[in-house]
Amino acid sequence: MAVSSRRRPPASDPTPAVPVRSVAIEEHRLPNGLRVVLSSEPGSAVVALGVYYRVGFRLEPKGRTGFAHLFEHLMFQGSRHLGKMAHFQVVHDAGGVLNGYTRYDYTAYFEVLPASALAAACYLEADRMAGLDLTPANLRNQVDVVEEEVRLNVLNQPYGGFSWLFLPQHAFQRFANAHNAYGEFEDLESATVEDASEFFTSHYAPGNATLVVVGGFDPSEALATVTQHFGAIPARPVPPPPATDEPLPTRRRVVRHEDPMAPVPRLGVGYRMATFGSPAHLPLTLAADILTDGRGSRLDERLVRGEGVCLDVTAGPNFPIGDAFDTGDPSLWTLEATRRPEVPTPRVLELIDEELERLGREGPSRPELRRAQRSWLAQHWAQVDSPRGRMDRLGTLTAVHGDPHLLNLIPGQIAAVTEEQVADSVRTWLRPERSTVLDWVPPGPKRRPG
Amino acid sequence: MTSLPVPTGGDRPPLPADLPAIGPVPDLRLRRPVRTQLEGGTRTTIVAHATVPRLELRLAVPAGSAHASVPGSAELLSHTLLAGTRVRDGATLAQDLQMIGADLHVSQDGDVLVLSGSVLSEHEQELYELVAEVVTGPAFPADELQLERGRIAEQLRMARAAPHFPAQEVARAAVYGPHPYGAATPTESQIRRCGAAAIRSLHRATFGARAAQLTVVGDVDPRRTARRLSRAFAAWDGRRGSWRLPPVHHRPAAGITLVDRPEAVQTVCIVAAGAPPVGHPDHLPLLLATAILGGGGPSRLMLNIRERHGYTYNPFAMTDSHLGDTLLLAGADVRCEVTGPALTEILYELGRLATGEVTAAELEGAQRYLAGTRVIAVQTQAGVAGSLASAALHGQDHRYLETFARRVRAVTARDVRAVAARYLAPRSVHVILVGPAERIAREVAPLGVVTVRRSGARRGRPPG
Repeated sequence: MAVSSRRRPPASDPTPAVPVRSVAIEEHRLPNGLRVVLSSEPGSAVVALGVYYRVGFRLEPKGRTGFAHLFEHLMFQGSRHLGKMAHFQVVHDAGGVLNGYTRYDYTAYFEVLPASALAAACYLEADRMAGLDLTPANLRNQVDVVEEEVRLNVLNQPYGGFSWLFLPQHAFQRFANAHNAYGEFEDLESATVEDASEFFTSHYAPGNATLVVVGGFDPSEALATVTQHFGAIPARPVPPPPATDEPLPTRRRVVRHEDPMAPVPRLGVGYRMATFGSPAHLPLTLAADILTDGRGSRLDERLVRGEGVCLDVTAGPNFPIGDAFDTGDPSLWTLEATRRPEVPTPRVLELIDEELERLGREGPSRPELRRAQRSWLAQHWAQVDSPRGRMDRLGTLTAVHGDPHLLNLIPGQIAAVTEEQVADSVRTWLRPERSTVLDWVPPGPKRRPG
Repeated sequence: MTSLPVPTGGDRPPLPADLPAIGPVPDLRLRRPVRTQLEGGTRTTIVAHATVPRLELRLAVPAGSAHASVPGSAELLSHTLLAGTRVRDGATLAQDLQMIGADLHVSQDGDVLVLSGSVLSEHEQELYELVAEVVTGPAFPADELQLERGRIAEQLRMARAAPHFPAQEVARAAVYGPHPYGAATPTESQIRRCGAAAIRSLHRATFGARAAQLTVVGDVDPRRTARRLSRAFAAWDGRRGSWRLPPVHHRPAAGITLVDRPEAVQTVCIVAAGAPPVGHPDHLPLLLATAILGGGGPSRLMLNIRERHGYTYNPFAMTDSHLGDTLLLAGADVRCEVTGPALTEILYELGRLATGEVTAAELEGAQRYLAGTRVIAVQTQAGVAGSLASAALHGQDHRYLETFARRVRAVTARDVRAVAARYLAPRSVHVILVGPAERIAREVAPLGVVTVRRSGARRGRPPG
């Protein structure tokens, strides 16, 4: 390591065992196919309720880019028995909050509210799972709103969409994985109510959804409430998953992206990530911390401190909009760095390659691996402490990977990862030829305004 | 476009008769806090909240930028506080924290610097010792200071390029004038010029045990934790640090300030106004007024400029509580071509709140929303710690949180209208726009006197 310790660390406990408390999880399936996951926390004053539909960016057909996210907006525009804004009104007036979000493999809708509102929240979610009230005027209104969202987050910001929106467009070839997930404006504007109805019929079937409830309730009463509201929704065919397989890249691609608003260059590097559940998946998750988790991590010490070629560096599976547990195949292990303007991109890449090669060859030291494991565990507890955080983990593990109980299994699996597994995984996966580089640069001198 | 059947906020959408009933918002109840004073005088609050085997810590000292005499010194202090101590360099400190499953970071605003930490509960004592080592003996190593100067300067260039940065900066300057709350974010050259002496002096002046406030929440035995904290912080003394700042005088509104951003495809529209701090009788009515105007859920701005007109994605209204006052902000980012109509609607909603009716249903909805979201916040260790630390900053304790809902319920529609008229009337708010002046200046001219400012006037050059 570049930095030597002047004093023994306060906790140098070398044992790999980490205490793992488990989270209460019950799993049910209604006859119409809806999966129900309950995690009761007696005494809690609130409930978090989420519905995770197995539909995301990857299912958008050509000519309908951005549709999964646009459709998410339409889910708030009225349903069988609820007019536009009624859903918002009920949750707000209950003293709760709600939102929805769309990712590669799922779309989530959730409410967090006082525990006494559980039945009402079930009513709201079941009502829109049973059917929407779509009108051309509401569709047009939400196309406008979504376009403002894209302007806000992408077009009117420096580094807008860096790197999550653009890196996959270059790292993948298949349309399902590589299209503009926010959507081309012409695609958004040509969407029709019929498209939306068809999308709803195909993808919003109860059998394609997971309902998660976390917080203060009695599990058997909650299951009865859930069944009362969702049980009557008729089963519909569940679509097959989209074809998403991609060949592994065989040589590094560097793509230059000029950003007229960016004052400083940045760099996004996407490596193909190992499939969830495969032997390299958790080791690569820990490798991200070993390499970039703050001071004392390998790339921070080398790129930011030692060589001074970058201002910051961060990495992780599906970073920055996802994590190791919420994305199916294929996905990216992404590294983002802010490059010092005077340092050429190839020099930064050379140093990254060197450090990854060294980690793959030597593996992490025992303390390095322990630090990453303990940090991971501490973050795990922080996530499950929050009703919403716990709901989200359970929802994505079930909707994307099929099993809520993974929540209690993964901490033990993280604790069991060895130095050799980290080395092997990094050596196999984090190779230059398997990466795509997004070289994000300020405008050239000629085009600088003023 | 024809208008949509969208409620306006006063009239509620009809709800189905079979919608299950929802009970009252539950009371916010915390485990009884243990309140103690460490030997050096640090006021300490400890709450057992053993939902998961970890704990959260907040340590607040008056090292916010408003307390700093040298521009940039508060920012540099917060960026280098964890860069090493007398006995440990920065990398070792970071590694030692990770080894016990701890996280420690520093945040800073005008009023306060907060060290936020967490740790697996089996390593509780070790975290306290490391925090004590940091606050009593930071090293501010020269190489780290130099590195952070460069990093902050570059981060500032990146931040300044975003449209909300000038909007906030101009809003603060407009509301606060020469008060430290109105001071601009330090320039790159101020950051580069700020020496180690200024940082050490700010640390000496503000990191005294007497002024500090400490909060610990989590899987702890409060009595034992009090002993552990006393032991860890035994060497920390000093009367240094005062939370007192010069009194705030809010400046009268002066029309529309338009920050020119020629390349923009959206206009940032913000209205800003100053109001009294937490604890003042107008504060709770103002929380309700901003909630009704644009505070989440089906607020008036949401219904109007998003769901009816589709001008924006992100309408909002909020309060930003300082020690000396509260900054009120509302607005939205809208596509440039509707800047005039959107600002008209925003000002209309301010006027309607100040002169029109707040219905009983609307008021009750906002009261329940404010109460409910605070109950949601205290479900996590981090939420309890943050809520208590923030109350402590305003001289309040857990009772402030526990009685909040009752006091909010006592506010009447008349109170809300009165504070809206006093602080948020169209003629008394500062209006700040960030967008392409050439396209929008004429459009908004009928709404107020427009002063155009160039954006990026203070944008620095790249290093080297």
